[in-house]
Amino acid sequence: MGEFKVHRVRFFDYMPAGIRCMSFNYKTQRLALARQDGTVEILNFSDNYFQEKVIPGNDSRSIEAVCWVGERLFTAGLNGEITEYDLFNLRSKYSLDAFGGPIWTLACNAQGTHLAVGCEDGSVKVFEVFEEKIRFEKNLDRQKGRIVSLSWHSSGTQIAAGMLDMIRIFDVQSGRRCRGCWWTAGPRGGGARCVVWSVPSCRTALAAATRPGRSRSGTGGGTGGGARTHLVSKWDVLCLSVSQDETSLVAGTSEGTVVQFQFLSATLGEREGEQEWVRTRTFKHHTHDVRAVLELERAIVSGGLDTQLVVRPLLDKVEVKSYDTGLRKIHFPHRSLVSCAEQAGLLLFQFPAHLELWRLGESDAHGCPGDSLPVRRKPEKLLELKRKGEEHISCSALSRCGGWLAYSSVSSVRLFRLNCKGNQLSIVKISKLPKVLSSAHQLCFSADSSRLFAASSHSSVHVISLSQSECKYVHTFKPASGCTEPVHLLAASADGAWLATANRACEVHVYSLRKLKSHCTVPVYGSCPSAMAIHPATNNLLVVHADHQIFEYSIAEKRYTDWSRKLQREGLHPLWFERDTPITHVNFNPQKPAQFLLHDMYMFCVVDQSQPLPDRTTQFYNQLTLRSLSEEERPSRSHAFKVCKRFQPLLSMHTLEDGALVVVERPLLDITTQLPAPVRQKKFAT
Amino acid sequence: MAKKQHGKVGVQMGKQKSKKITENLHLGVASSEEDDDEAPEEVTFEDSKAVALRSMREAIDTARREKELLKEKRRKRQELFQEQKKRKLLPDDILEEIDSTIPKKPKASKVQAEKAGDGEEASSSGVEESGGSDTDGVEEKGEAKKKKRKRKRRSLKGNSSVMRLKDQSLSSKQQQSALDFIQSRLYGPGANRTTVNQLLSLQNKRALNKTAAVQFVDKQWGAEKKEEAEKFKKRWKNKQGVGLS
Repeated sequence: MGEFKVHRVRFFDYMPAGIRCMSFNYKTQRLALARQDGTVEILNFSDNYFQEKVIPGNDSRSIEAVCWVGERLFTAGLNGEITEYDLFNLRSKYSLDAFGGPIWTLACNAQGTHLAVGCEDGSVKVFEVFEEKIRFEKNLDRQKGRIVSLSWHSSGTQIAAGMLDMIRIFDVQSGRRCRGCWWTAGPRGGGARCVVWSVPSCRTALAAATRPGRSRSGTGGGTGGGARTHLVSKWDVLCLSVSQDETSLVAGTSEGTVVQFQFLSATLGEREGEQEWVRTRTFKHHTHDVRAVLELERAIVSGGLDTQLVVRPLLDKVEVKSYDTGLRKIHFPHRSLVSCAEQAGLLLFQFPAHLELWRLGESDAHGCPGDSLPVRRKPEKLLELKRKGEEHISCSALSRCGGWLAYSSVSSVRLFRLNCKGNQLSIVKISKLPKVLSSAHQLCFSADSSRLFAASSHSSVHVISLSQSECKYVHTFKPASGCTEPVHLLAASADGAWLATANRACEVHVYSLRKLKSHCTVPVYGSCPSAMAIHPATNNLLVVHADHQIFEYSIAEKRYTDWSRKLQREGLHPLWFERDTPITHVNFNPQKPAQFLLHDMYMFCVVDQSQPLPDRTTQFYNQLTLRSLSEEERPSRSHAFKVCKRFQPLLSMHTLEDGALVVVERPLLDITTQLPAPVRQKKFAT
Repeated sequence: MAKKQHGKVGVQMGKQKSKKITENLHLGVASSEEDDDEAPEEVTFEDSKAVALRSMREAIDTARREKELLKEKRRKRQELFQEQKKRKLLPDDILEEIDSTIPKKPKASKVQAEKAGDGEEASSSGVEESGGSDTDGVEEKGEAKKKKRKRKRRSLKGNSSVMRLKDQSLSSKQQQSALDFIQSRLYGPGANRTTVNQLLSLQNKRALNKTAAVQFVDKQWGAEKKEEAEKFKKRWKNKQGVGLS
C-alpha cells in the first residue's frame, strides 16, 4: 500500500450555515436547498444526492422561501425581493421588489402559472409567471399582521395563509377572504400568541404547524369545522410537508424530531370515510431545530440549524433493502474548499467571506507507521484575505508554486501575486485583468504556474497567461456540443499540454493547450463527474463519477486505457458502490506512478493499478486480514484497493511534492460546538 | 464709535483748557516770586478773595477732571477687553448662520460630533457655542429654537447611537424587525433554550463510552493550559536543579 508521512490538518474552521428551506422538483428529481447565509444548493437525487450546483450567497440577500416553478428556481427573503436564478451561470437572474415589506413565504400553484408571496404588511400578492419574468397581478384582501406561511389548494382557486394566531382562506379569483377562519389556540388556550409557521394543504385537509407544538388538521372549506389538534412537541413545530399522494404528513420540530402522520383508518376494515390522521413515526436525526422538511415518494428529507441534510428512506415503501434504503447524512459540500500548493507546502482555505493561507508544519523526525511525529515548526497562518463587497466567494485557487492566488465571486475575479521569502510574505493585487475575466465558476493554475484557467459561462474556459509584469488573455475554449451548463472541474496536465474540463451535463472535454483547440470528448457517462485529474507521467485522464464509477482515459490515444476496460469488464466491488459520500479529489502518488489516491468524507483509498482487481467474492476491506498473514501469503490475497479510514471526516486530501500527504479534517463535534442554542430537553436520570 | 470719538475730543479739549489755566497760575506765582524783594504790593481784600475763590474752584475742577480721566481710562480698558473677547469668538453673522443651520440637520451634526470624539466633548462644545452667541446678544431667534437646542444637547449627552442615513431606510428597518421577530420567537423568553455545551454533556452522560467533556477538548483552552504547564515544568526543573547543586 505504501507509507506516507501525513500532515494531519485540523485548523480549517469550516462552518456551514444552517438550512432554512427546501423545495423539491419531482420532474427533474432536484432538491433546491437554501441556507441561512443566502447560499442556494441544488442536489440531484437521481444521481446519488450529488450536490450539482452551488449558487454563492450574498450578505444583502436572506432567503426565507424557495420554490421551483417548472425548471426555474425562485426565492424570496426578508429583504422584500423575489429572485429568480440563472441556473446556468449560477447567479441571480433578476430581483423584483414585492413592495410589501419583508417576504416570509413563497408558494407556486400546482399548474405553475402563478406565484403567491406573503408579506410583512399582511398582504398576499399574486404574481403571474411568464416565460422570461414574473409580473404582479393582484393583491388579495389585506390582513392585519404578517403572513408567515402560504399554500395553494391543488385546484389553484384558493390560498390558505397562516398568520399570527389564525389561518385564513382566500379566493384567488375574487381576491376576497372566505368567510371564517381557524383560530389556533395558544398554549393552554391563551397567553402568548402562536405563529402559524407552515400551512401545507391537500385536497381534503389542511394542516398547520404552530407555536406550542400543535399540528392541526381539518377538512378544508374554510368553515373551521372538523379541526383536530395533535400535540407533537412541547415546543415549536416549524415546518410541515404533505406527501404527493396526500396520505402522509411530516412535521419538523424545534427539538430536532421529525414526526410522521398518516391518514389511516383507526381500526382494521373500516370504511374509507372514517379515516383519520394518526401519528405513526418519530425520527430523531437532528440535534437542533428542523427548519425544513419534505416528504418525497420514498424518503423524508429534513434539514435544520445543525447544518446537515438528512435523507431518511421510508422502509415501508421499499421492496428490496439495498444501498438506496440506507440513511444518508450530507454534511460537507461535494466540492473542494481547500487548495494546496504542492511545491511550497501552503494551504488555501476558502470561506464565504475570506480566504486563509497557511503554511504547513514541519517535522524532521522519523518513526514507524502509526506514530505521531514531533513538530519542528508549527503550522502558521500567513494570510487572511477578506473579500470586497457583499458577494460570497464562489471559488478560489492557489498555484502549485504558491506564487499566485486567485478567487472569484459572482461578479469579479481577483488575482494576487504572493511573494514568500522566509517569514516575510508580500501580496500584490494584479490590477489589470483581461476583461473576459468577469466571473468564474472554477479556477485552476497550470502546473508551472504560467497560466490561469477560468471556467466561465456557457461551459467556456478562458486561458490567461501570467508573467511577473502582466497577465494576458490567450484563448477561450468552447465545447463543440454547445452545452451551457457550468463547468465544475478543471484539470491541467503536468507538462502543460492538456486541459480537461467537466461540466454539470456530465460532459468531459479535453483541450490541447499547445494547439489551442479542442482535442477530444470523453464518452458521456450517466453520472456527474465528482473528481478528475490528469496523470503527471502518462497523461491519462482519471475521472471519478458521483456513483463512484472510475474511468481512465488515455488522452494521447483518445480511448479508455486497458486498465479502465478491465475495470469495467470485471466491475468494481459492490462495497465500493455502497459508499455514502462521493469521491471529491483524485491525487497521484509521486513516488509510485502506478498508484492514485481517492478520498471521500470517511476514508481515503490508494488504488494500485499494478495489483489485481477485487472480484465480488473477495474481501474488500482486507488490511486487517493481510496484517495477520505472513509475508509470503500476502501477495496472493491483496488487491488494488487499500482503504484507510483513520482520518475522518475528511474535507480534502493532497499529495505534496516530497511524497507527504496532507489530510484536512473537520471534526463534526467542532461544528456542533459552534451551533446556535438548542432546545432544552429533560432526559431521564440526568 | 462716533460717540466714543466725540468723548475723546471732549477730553482733549478739557485737557487743553486745564493746561492753559495751570499756565496762568504758574505765571501768577512766578510773578509773585520775582517781586519778592520788592515792597509788597497792595492787594485789596476783594482781589485776594477772588483769587482764593478761583484757586479753590480750580482745585475742585482738577479733582473732578482727574476722576473723569480715571473713569475714561477704565472705560477704555473695558472696551479693549470686550474687543479682545470678540476677536476670540467667531463673528456674529457666522454664529447666527450656525445657529440657523443646526436644527435643520441634526443627524449630520450628530454624526460629525460622534466622529470628532466622544459624546461628552461634543456636548461641551455645543454649550460654548450657544453661550457665546448669548453674550453677543443674538437673542432674536426666539424661545423655540432655544428649546430645540436644549433637546438636542440632552439627546447627545444620553445614550446616543450613530446611524447611517442609508441604513435608516424603511425596508431595512422592516427587515430588522422581521429578523427580531424570528429571533424572539425561536430564542426569546419562553423558548426554553440551553447551550450546545450542555446538550453535548447530556449526550456524553447518556452515551455508552463516557469521554471528557467537550470543552476540555477545546483546542484553545488546551493550548493555554499547555503553555501554563510548560512554564510550570520549566520552573520546577529550575528549582530541582538549584536544589541539587
